[in-house]
Amino acid sequence: MVRFIVRRLLLSIVTLFIILLVVFALTRVFPSDPAKQLAGPFASEERVAQLTESLGLDDPLPTQFFRLVRDVVTLDFGESFSQPGVRVIDLVRPALWNSAKLVFLALMITLPLSIVGGIVAARKKDTIIDRSIVSFGLASASIPDFVSGVLLQFIIGVQLGWLPSISNAPADAGFFGQLEYILLPALAILFVYFGYIARITRAGAVTALDSDYARTAYMKGMSTSEVVRKHVLKNALQPTVAVTGTQMGYLFGGLVGLERVFNYPGLGNLILRAALAPDFPLLQTSVVAVAVIFMIATLTSDLIIAWMNPRARLDVGEN
Amino acid sequence: MDFKRFDLMRRNVGPVELDLIESYAQKKINRRDFVKRGTIVGLSAPFMGAVIAACGSDAAEEGAGTDTEGTGSGAATGTVGGNLIIGNQFGDANSGLDPATMLDLGTYNVVSQCFEYLVGLGDDGNIAATALATSWSPNADGSVWTFELRDGPVWQGSGEPLTSADVAATMDRAVEFGNAGLAGVIGEGSVDASDPTKAVITLLEPNGNFPVLVSLFNTQSLITPADYSTGTTLDERPDGTGAWKLDSFDPTTFVATYSRNENWWGGSTNLDTIELRGFSDIGTAVTAMSSREIDVIQNFSVIGGEGLLNDDSFNVLTPPSSNHRQVPFNVQQGKWNNPQIRQALAYTFDREQMVNTLFAGRADIANDHPITSGLPFFDADATPQRTRDIEMAKQLIADSGITDLTGTIECGDLGEIPEFAQIIQQNAAEAGFDFQVNVQSNSTFYGDSWCPGPSETDPNLPCDGSADLDIVDWGHRPTPDIFLGAALSSGGVWNGSNYANPEFDQKLSDYRTSVDVAGQKEAIGSIQSILHEDAPALYAYFFNYLAGHADTVSGVQTTALGHVIVSGASKDA
Amino acid sequence: MTDIDNSGAETEGASSGSMAPAQDRKTVKQEQRKELFATPSFIIGAVILSFWVLCSIVPGLFTKWGENEVIRLADGSTIPRTGPGANAWFGTDTIGNDVFARVIYGADNVLINAPISALIAVLAGAVLGLTMGYYRGLVDEILSRIIEAILSLPVILLALMVVVVFGNSRIVIVLTIAALFTPVVARTVRSAVTSEAQLDYVMSAKLRGESGWFIMMKEIFPNITNVLIVEFTVRVGYAIFTVATLSFLGLGAGDQSAADWGVDIANGYSLIQSGQWWISIFPALAIASLVISVNLIADSIEKVYNS
Repeated sequence: MVRFIVRRLLLSIVTLFIILLVVFALTRVFPSDPAKQLAGPFASEERVAQLTESLGLDDPLPTQFFRLVRDVVTLDFGESFSQPGVRVIDLVRPALWNSAKLVFLALMITLPLSIVGGIVAARKKDTIIDRSIVSFGLASASIPDFVSGVLLQFIIGVQLGWLPSISNAPADAGFFGQLEYILLPALAILFVYFGYIARITRAGAVTALDSDYARTAYMKGMSTSEVVRKHVLKNALQPTVAVTGTQMGYLFGGLVGLERVFNYPGLGNLILRAALAPDFPLLQTSVVAVAVIFMIATLTSDLIIAWMNPRARLDVGEN
Repeated sequence: MDFKRFDLMRRNVGPVELDLIESYAQKKINRRDFVKRGTIVGLSAPFMGAVIAACGSDAAEEGAGTDTEGTGSGAATGTVGGNLIIGNQFGDANSGLDPATMLDLGTYNVVSQCFEYLVGLGDDGNIAATALATSWSPNADGSVWTFELRDGPVWQGSGEPLTSADVAATMDRAVEFGNAGLAGVIGEGSVDASDPTKAVITLLEPNGNFPVLVSLFNTQSLITPADYSTGTTLDERPDGTGAWKLDSFDPTTFVATYSRNENWWGGSTNLDTIELRGFSDIGTAVTAMSSREIDVIQNFSVIGGEGLLNDDSFNVLTPPSSNHRQVPFNVQQGKWNNPQIRQALAYTFDREQMVNTLFAGRADIANDHPITSGLPFFDADATPQRTRDIEMAKQLIADSGITDLTGTIECGDLGEIPEFAQIIQQNAAEAGFDFQVNVQSNSTFYGDSWCPGPSETDPNLPCDGSADLDIVDWGHRPTPDIFLGAALSSGGVWNGSNYANPEFDQKLSDYRTSVDVAGQKEAIGSIQSILHEDAPALYAYFFNYLAGHADTVSGVQTTALGHVIVSGASKDA
Repeated sequence: MTDIDNSGAETEGASSGSMAPAQDRKTVKQEQRKELFATPSFIIGAVILSFWVLCSIVPGLFTKWGENEVIRLADGSTIPRTGPGANAWFGTDTIGNDVFARVIYGADNVLINAPISALIAVLAGAVLGLTMGYYRGLVDEILSRIIEAILSLPVILLALMVVVVFGNSRIVIVLTIAALFTPVVARTVRSAVTSEAQLDYVMSAKLRGESGWFIMMKEIFPNITNVLIVEFTVRVGYAIFTVATLSFLGLGAGDQSAADWGVDIANGYSLIQSGQWWISIFPALAIASLVISVNLIADSIEKVYNS
């Protein structure tokens, strides 16, 4: 097990390095010159040159890259180009926290509903209930998040007025007050994932319900719900955990459209603004943050699966 | 006409003021324009009142004299204390809270709560001696202006009083930066700070409108302390002489909070604290205003703002505005380097449609030059209003000899500009133009397309490589100096059209150096004609700037440049 | 969303075990096709999709107004920001264009870009997956690491950065999305190929002395076409997702005034709160219907070809 974790960590470092290289390369090909943007349109050429030098942009590329790697390793992410004097970490932290809140709420809603939906569909296989759940899941899956977001905002936020249509909680809103403001985008995320998770849960549950183990349990007199709890759930949960792990990157950094619809200052929004400014340190740091989250999430989900399913432990490390 | 009193007054003023008084007495300008111009030139209100009384009031010349332009909501009537939340435009990513380089309305508002200008805002929306200068006056030919500094303002940071050394340092910094309003008007070392209570400013050439250029209408002319270095931002070093002290600033959400400056020269503010909350989207700000999550909204537009306009418990403020969207061509480098083709495009504009669709009528049609008809030197006869004429457009296209009519309209995503671009595209298509529209984020547009930078070799190419055709947003200025100088003069810092016409430059100089209304009018009339013919940039409308607040708030003053002055405001509990 | 790898939990494997003789393969395929066309979800999906395809080819059939044409009433006046009514079934947008016309004309942007990127991704991914799955070794290891690196970031993030750098032309968008989907396809193909490569027919081909290339192309490839078809249909769904999101963010291809569902949603979503909902909601429903139809087709293909 330890060897597995160590190996994964080493692989993650390699992957992070590659990502850093790719992002660095992209930023250095950017058409806009951050020094010029920062200096403003009336600036003299000397000022622009001065800024270029102080931002370290006129050093040879390998030097700049080395500096970037060193900064990331020492966790000193530098200062933002577009907000002079503001440390990048002070910009990323609140955005990260906001995204975390939204993801937390979304998962709290999505996972139970989808898993239950999948198990119900499996138990009522081939009935109308099964077909409805599967069809609904099919229909809502991969509808772009901002599209569901806009529809929800209109129907629930504006027409019915049940929830606030913009996610700008006032500063003094308590915990539940804040939840109210991000419930609509969380529902949009539910629509994106419900179908997929319900279907893989269903598939896993179908297999499990049909398995020898389950049949033996029935013969021994266990009720279906007991079988579900003891056997099916574990098997059905594994793929869900796996999927959730791999989707963390998207949930933290990929909800750019959804965040825009609800005016929510999450990480995706921050990355978009950093790309448009362009603000290289901010962009590099936030992209790395997304990658790190992804890595932690997949490692965690693999470990959870290994814990849940001893048999999987054998091929853990294979992936 | 009380000649005796009148003569007394005439004897005690300089030539600049004298010419103005004479023009008024001879009824060459009406009372409203006299007051406007008088304020600029430095006549005090009582003095002007006396002149008006001496000349006798004449019902016929009232004209638009009693105009309540709604820039402010009257004296504050609410309770003392409380917090006011102002919905503000999200500042652009480019400059930070830097008083010298800031370019957008959101940042202007944030920074000008703490710093102040030499010349402030009057109740009628014009300049007045309500800020750091208590009075000002020109010398004989308007080339030297003396500003009496107010006794009382102290710096929040050091506790030291304001002196003319601070003014001198600010002006020098402005020159170093190429401040749009002051470029070409003053040079290094223009301020004589030998007397700490007076700032004596010597201009490069006479200028009849100078006080406007150091007022809040030149947004980057905020007075900063003498030791404030280039590139310092407000949040790095909170300071200022103004009514509010910056408590906190969060750049990710663009929220700034302030508390009362106990040492403000203007006394104690009613409100305890204020918060400027940034909204990157006007629609979201409108929603917040409708639901009263914010008390004041800095700016909103007609499109999407219909709810507020119809809300009885919401007060709409319409400060005087010469706001417009300029449509410049890159006349030197683009494919539209021929005045006939540019005029052709002008003839395709359906200006009524633009005003009705984009502003529901809350705008005035413009005539391809940036001079609003309300200005005293506007020449109504110089240029007949251009109207839509597709046949004329086609004819001009044929005459120009240009056959490739494809192109791209570049613009930012501010306000109604993308919709404006679409209407231009559709209007122009009827004469054969084939335009695409490219909407970019506002920061990217201003960074890359509008004016990438000056040419290294040619001083008359201040915006080398700017887009062939784009749409630029211009905030209100009470005089068109910036619209003409920075935007259209040879080498002007904001001259995205790279227009370089010596005749225009000469007339501009004539206008600036004229200190009498007649001289200004003659120069401006020529400028109107030149621009109308050459069409380096098109102007379709001047639109009303809309701001407002809940009716539980009072005492708010606004300008069409994004300032929201709440030092005298209050809010019902 | 990040592309969910389709070689995951649900399917039982790409091929049905040992190689069937060529003749049987053909009949199986014919039967599968017949079954497909009879599936109700396929039919519904195909109908909706055909409607949109028709819209992109002959938009004029459905609406008399152009995409960039402000509706003018008989008296010459315009009716901007008006709700659905007799003059405009879906209402008018901020300057008075007919929303219905813009929905119809908006189909082609998505319908051209998404499938092309998906196709390129599938072909490129197939080549890569075949190479990796057959040869294994160092090449496989290195490529797998790179693929993992790319897959750890959401597609939309990488896509938006590339588009900001290289500009928002159609070619950039299509190639970028294709490049970003290739790794997922490669991974799926690779796992299908590795299981195929252990089967008898590959062994015997090797013993016969056939070249690697020949084995990959002539022996393995035909047996994984099902995987490729399923991958393609799924990728089209995600490609639509990415294209629409890019347009919504203002990074869509070309002319921003041309009818485009993502762009129209972006122009109108802030107006929902002030009651002018039709400007965004109709394009949103259009995207949703297109995605649903593609999903239905993908799902029925997957069921039929993987059973």
